[in-house]
Amino acid sequence: MDIEHTKKEFLQKVCADIRIVEEGVNRYRVFTPFTFDDGDHLAITLSQDENGVWRITDEGHTFMRLTYLIDEKDLRKGNRQKIIEASLMRHGIKEEDGELFISLKEVTPGDALFSLIQGIIQISDVSYLTREIVKSTFYEDFRTQITDIANSILPQKRDLTFDFDWSHPKQDPEGRYSVDCIIRDSGRPVFLFALNNDDKVRDVTINILHFEKLGMDFQSVGIFENQENISRSVLARFSDVCDKQFSQLSGNEERMSSYLNRAIVTG
Amino acid sequence: MNNLLSDTEISNLLTEQKQLPRLFRPLGTRKEKRGHYESEITLTGSDGHTFQIRYRQNTRYPTDFSVILLYQPERTNIARILRRYNGKSHEHTNKIERNTFYNYHIHTMTERYQREDGCSEDGYAEETERYSTAEEAIDCLIEDCSVRQLNVNKQLNEFGGA
Repeated sequence: MDIEHTKKEFLQKVCADIRIVEEGVNRYRVFTPFTFDDGDHLAITLSQDENGVWRITDEGHTFMRLTYLIDEKDLRKGNRQKIIEASLMRHGIKEEDGELFISLKEVTPGDALFSLIQGIIQISDVSYLTREIVKSTFYEDFRTQITDIANSILPQKRDLTFDFDWSHPKQDPEGRYSVDCIIRDSGRPVFLFALNNDDKVRDVTINILHFEKLGMDFQSVGIFENQENISRSVLARFSDVCDKQFSQLSGNEERMSSYLNRAIVTG
Repeated sequence: MNNLLSDTEISNLLTEQKQLPRLFRPLGTRKEKRGHYESEITLTGSDGHTFQIRYRQNTRYPTDFSVILLYQPERTNIARILRRYNGKSHEHTNKIERNTFYNYHIHTMTERYQREDGCSEDGYAEETERYSTAEEAIDCLIEDCSVRQLNVNKQLNEFGGA
C-alpha cells in the first residue's frame, strides 16, 4: 500500500465531505457527512453574531428536533439535563435560548466545528432515554373477568350483588381499607383483591388483618397479575392471612369461576 | 419485532379519516420554547386510533421547521412518527438508498426502514417542491393524511398561525 497515496486520498475525501455554502449576509451553511439516526444531517452554520464575532452554531435546530418526541420541559431535568450539561461543558459549547454555538474568538474554526459536532451527537443521544411505558391493563381485565363470572352465577343466585372498590360504609367512611371487589349474597361475602406489586400486596395484607380485627366474617381471594414478581417475604405474610390465591389472572378464568361458584353457593 | 408496522398498516393509518376537533381554541396557539415555536393537536381517527399533529419552527430561521403526524398506539405512551414535513435547514441522506439532498423533504415511516439495523423507522425521505413554508407544509399534511377540517383558515389560525 502506498501510504502517501492513501493519505492524499483520505484527505481529499474528508475535505470533500465538508462544504461551506453562503446562505445569507455573513451566514454560511456548513455541510458535513454527520447524520442523526433518521438520516437528517446535523444543521450547522458559520455566522456572525450582533457584535460581529463569528461563531459555529446549530441555530437552535438540535433542541427543536429533540422535541419531536420529547417534551421540552423533560430536557431540563433528570438524566437528560445531566447529559446535556455534561456534553456542553466537555466540548466548550455555549447555549443561548436553545442555540448551541462555539465562538471563534479563541478557537479555530476547525476545532470549533468538530467540538460542536461531537456535542450535538452526544446531546441527541438523550432521545434514547425516552421510556416506553406500556400501561398495564390488569385492573381493567380484573374487572371484566370478575363481572363475567358474577354475571354467570346470577341465574343461580338471584340475590347476589357485586361492587368494585368497596369499603365499609360505617366503619370506614373515608375508604382507607378497601376491597377491589366484594361479592355478596345471603352467605359469607367474598373479598377479591387484585394484586400487581409488593406495595399492593402489603396494603391488602393490612386490610385483611383490619377486617379480621373488626370481627367481619368473609372469604378473602387474592388474584395476582403475576405472583412471581412479588418478593418472597411480602408473599409469605400475605399467604398467612389470605384464604385463596390465584397466581395469575390470565389463564385461570375457569378455575376462578369454579372456585367463586362454590364459595358463593356454599357460603 | 413486535412493534413493527407493515406498509399496509402504515398506509391504513395514513388513510384513516381524522377530524380536527372543532373546539380547538387557544390551546393550539403556538408557544415559544427554547428557540423554537411549538403547537400540537390530538386527533381521533374513524377507526378509533389516536393521532397527533405537532408543529415545530425555529424562532430565528423560519425555513427550519417540522410538521409531524404521529400515531399513538393504544395503551402506550409511545408516539411514532408516520409522516414528517421538514423545512430546508439540513441535508438528508436515505441510508438504504444512499442518496443525499438538500431541500424541503417529507419523511415517511416504512416497513423496510424498521427492519434495517441502524435506521430510524421514519428514516426514508423524499425531497419536495410542494411547500416552502410551515403553513404550506401543514396543508400538505392535511391533504396527504386524510385530515378533515370544516374551516381551513380558521383551523390554521387556531393551530398557531405557522
